[in-house]
Amino acid sequence: MRVLVVEDEKKTASFVRKALQAEGFAVDVCHNGNDALAAASGTPFDGIVLDIMLPGRDGLSVLRQLRESKNATPVLLLSARGEVNERVEGLNAGADDYLPKPFALVELVARVRALGRRGGEPKSPTLRVSDFTLDTITRQAQRGGVTIELTAREYRLLEYLMRSPGRICGRMAILEKVWDYDFDPGTNLVDVYIKRLREKIDADFEPKLLHTVRGVGYVIKESP
Amino acid sequence: MTIRTRMTFWYVGTLLFSGLVIAGLSIKELHERHHRREERGESWEDVVGIFCGVGIPAALLSIGGGWWLMRKALAPIAMLTDAAERVNERNLREQLPRSGNGDELDRLAEVLNRMTARLNDSFTRIREFTLHASHELKTPLTILCGETETELRNESLTPAQRDHCASELDELRRLTRIVDSLTLLAKADAGLITLTLAPVRLDELVRDTLADTQMLARASGVRVELGECEELTVRGDPHRLRQLLLNLADNGVKYNQPEGLITMSLRRSDEEAIFSIANTGPGIPAESLPRVFDRFFRCDPAHSHDAEGCGLGLSIAQWIVAAHNGTIQIDSVQSELTTVTVRLPLLKPEAGRT
Repeated sequence: MRVLVVEDEKKTASFVRKALQAEGFAVDVCHNGNDALAAASGTPFDGIVLDIMLPGRDGLSVLRQLRESKNATPVLLLSARGEVNERVEGLNAGADDYLPKPFALVELVARVRALGRRGGEPKSPTLRVSDFTLDTITRQAQRGGVTIELTAREYRLLEYLMRSPGRICGRMAILEKVWDYDFDPGTNLVDVYIKRLREKIDADFEPKLLHTVRGVGYVIKESP
Repeated sequence: MTIRTRMTFWYVGTLLFSGLVIAGLSIKELHERHHRREERGESWEDVVGIFCGVGIPAALLSIGGGWWLMRKALAPIAMLTDAAERVNERNLREQLPRSGNGDELDRLAEVLNRMTARLNDSFTRIREFTLHASHELKTPLTILCGETETELRNESLTPAQRDHCASELDELRRLTRIVDSLTLLAKADAGLITLTLAPVRLDELVRDTLADTQMLARASGVRVELGECEELTVRGDPHRLRQLLLNLADNGVKYNQPEGLITMSLRRSDEEAIFSIANTGPGIPAESLPRVFDRFFRCDPAHSHDAEGCGLGLSIAQWIVAAHNGTIQIDSVQSELTTVTVRLPLLKPEAGRT
């Protein structure tokens, strides 16, 4: 998957590029809007990470220009502003997703990955990690033949983690997708739910499936 | 014409008028009496009676006239006082009414207007400073967070280094939350935030928050109970209302005592939804109550690190409530019960009940 990163701040551009490369993406970097337009019209990218604040032509203008010229490459907008109004403005201009700064890299990587998946990949009705299964139709969870009772919230959290097994899910993305919070409540809500889920699906079983990536997020997988 | 000359004219006019009335009536009476006395030989004592009969009404007339006069003269001052009373940091751009006739009061109004304009400039500068500062902090924070996170993924780190790095990242996230909260408040002050309003079932949000609060409270053994919870709909921004409820509930957990109790309820009173949440924490000293909504205010600075908050939560809560045309109030009986009451206007009187 080939991604274009448009970010005028050199250091930010650099660690975004590193993080995406580490996940196996091919990454091109531009530092201003005009270069970005030229690059995007010359090369077919699978996704564009676009900062709103750019010298000269700003991100929203680049985005509008792209959409006007019928370029449908999925776009993830980055903004230091991060308020609902800009989110709406960005999405109206044709962005596929929006991430306010300062962001966690793990969130950025997860969202870029989701850009590539948009519209593709059929959802399997049964999610499975090791001997743990989650039926997304009956909403039943089983491990080693034992049925596990889940509350609605616990189910949503598990489903979200199991949709991308082996991949780290950031705390902010979890709050947004599972709780519908568009703000960081500054509580350890996610941590206490993960703890509760551990008691339910990991305490009496081996191997352990739910893992904490300290400072970053959570991942569900067989090996630690 | 200045007030002094104006008042002098009025005063002289009234005095002259009442003097003339008194003099005229007295002379007329005296003249008649004089004739009658000459005819019947009566004494001069009646003159006192005449003065009482004519003088008292005349005096009453002067008092009435004087009262009316002063009221008329002072009316512009009363109006200025009322207008100045209404001035607060949010309506500094409004001007005091001016008569435009160039008298002292008109000049006073002009001076007051210039003063509020200068205050308004200062407030605007402070707001802009906060807005720019919180915005400028975001780029370096993004870089710090990103680089620390990249470092954390470095496989060659020793466990001690990894711990150090993760703890730095935790602090950076905390700083990020503070900056985010500051930005939110600065934007709210500058009127840059538009709420996305929709009908919101408040009882559903309360039940959601209840479930989350019970999870948050498990670690400290705090019980969370829901009393009355009526089906009520308000017009509001669901994200902000969620933020408000979780914010208040989280405070209830953080500032509670171990094994304490949190009680929530949602009920209806006339055209309002009343959400209340009470906790059995140590409470807020009476002298701190008026300041709890102030930014970065903490009741007990010594304990500021026990709880993770940054002192902006209640300011944000207050803003969310005000943006929904509601009110928020905190009552505290020390060592017994601290209650936060939020009142929000209902969507429609009938829409609340089903």
